[in-house]
Amino acid sequence: MTFAVATLVVSVAVLLAAGRLPKGAQNWVLPIAVAAILVAMWDAACVLTGTEVFPSPLDTVLAFGELIESQRLWGDATASLFRVTWGFLLATGVGVPLGLVVGWSTRTFRALNPIIQGLRPISPIAWIPIAILWFGIGDGAGVFLIFLSSFFPITVGTMAAVRNISLVHQRSAMNFGVQGLELFRRVVLPAALPQIITSLRIALGVAWLVIVAAEMVGMETGLGYLINDARNAGSRYDLVVATMILIGLIGILLDFLIRRLERFDEVRWGYSQR
Amino acid sequence: MSVPSRSGDPKVVFEGVSKVFDKKGEPLQVLQDVDLTVAEGEFVCLLGPSGCGKSTLLNIAGGFERPTDGRVSIDGEEVTGPNPKRVFVFQEYGIFPWASVWDNVVLGVRDRSKEDRHRIVDEVIELVGLKGFERAYPMELSGGMKQRVEVARALAVSPDVIYMDEPFGALDSLTRLTLRSELLRIWNERNPTILFVTHDVDEAMQLAERVVVFSARPGRIADIVEVDMPHPRDIGSPEYGRVKNRLYELLGVTHMI
Repeated sequence: MTFAVATLVVSVAVLLAAGRLPKGAQNWVLPIAVAAILVAMWDAACVLTGTEVFPSPLDTVLAFGELIESQRLWGDATASLFRVTWGFLLATGVGVPLGLVVGWSTRTFRALNPIIQGLRPISPIAWIPIAILWFGIGDGAGVFLIFLSSFFPITVGTMAAVRNISLVHQRSAMNFGVQGLELFRRVVLPAALPQIITSLRIALGVAWLVIVAAEMVGMETGLGYLINDARNAGSRYDLVVATMILIGLIGILLDFLIRRLERFDEVRWGYSQR
Repeated sequence: MSVPSRSGDPKVVFEGVSKVFDKKGEPLQVLQDVDLTVAEGEFVCLLGPSGCGKSTLLNIAGGFERPTDGRVSIDGEEVTGPNPKRVFVFQEYGIFPWASVWDNVVLGVRDRSKEDRHRIVDEVIELVGLKGFERAYPMELSGGMKQRVEVARALAVSPDVIYMDEPFGALDSLTRLTLRSELLRIWNERNPTILFVTHDVDEAMQLAERVVVFSARPGRIADIVEVDMPHPRDIGSPEYGRVKNRLYELLGVTHMI
């Protein structure tokens, strides 16, 4: 309890004094101070309620160590990442070309858009029984579910990006005799690319949400399964919370990695300048 | 009313051009029976209020739109689509933001030999004063520089006709003045036929040999005014004031506030 109070006091003091720090430092200091306050409140709540089930921050850190030591963490994290990587890459490989064609050709758009829009609202979670029926319990079903959950944001985002290409750019291309495949390479794809990257980013975020849910329901490895297993094997909520935090950290890392794509000279124009 | 060209052979000929748009089921006539002959190497401004159809006329000449009635021909051949020999310079930047200055300018000559490409691109980039910015991206350039890139891209194909649709409309007034005098310099050097749309009386007066004044919708030619003043034009001279008054009169607006 004294630890919690001390952390709280120090963090609030840091927050109040942070105005004097340079801007760059504030970007780090402010969120860390807020996080410290939240952890302190969490710790205080555990002490005040006298809970025996919910883990304190310290329990969670120890559980982290236990997970790393038992080597389960590595296996489950790579299982989840494997499914997300392959499902996402497949969805990109199919969704981007399909979105480019459907977005560009009005007739294809008329034919396919209603079907795409009709399938899109079906939660990937609802596909779990079918995924297991087709692929069994394992990586195949996981990859399939991630493919589904990424495919729709990527395809719809790419379609919208192509349909948003400015008339002036299309006319410039026509004026200089750019047509056919060259038109796709020189104008359609580069014009749509910033928005395509945004849709990839959204899709990857969704994929990381879906894989955990899918593993909790229908798989026997992965971080989602680890959460379920920890609860079922003796209510180890310390392991549950430690895994949740890890899931959050990996999610941040994935987003960080995919955002690197936004930095290329060819696409920087598509994002607002801050 | 067929207007003979001032000098040189007829280059761009509009004959009875009309355009009717379909606006939510209602026909909307934007151009009515436009006859105009532009001579080879001539600099003509199309001047009129917003919505008078002058941009539509330019888009028809450029091959981006078809007239409802009448025809446009260039060198005696009817225009049926865009053509790289006749280049459009847009108001909003038509240059590609995803490509560097060099890659933008090379667009029209991309199929030429490597030697030709470098020679031509270097030459037009120098001509518009963008030397040293070849590797820059449009987002790193000011509005005026972007418009220079667009002009360079047009010049690279050595077009015989350049269509300019309020190309300097989005720029500040000082940049506009600079670009106008540079456009005149380039026109003198290369002598393409230029059709230049504007709603700015001074711009038309400073640039054009002839100003074609349009009435409000449906756009019709109200009159054609010659600006018979050699460049550089003295914008304080009585002659300038007289022509300007005439243009304001045709536009139906007062020039005294």
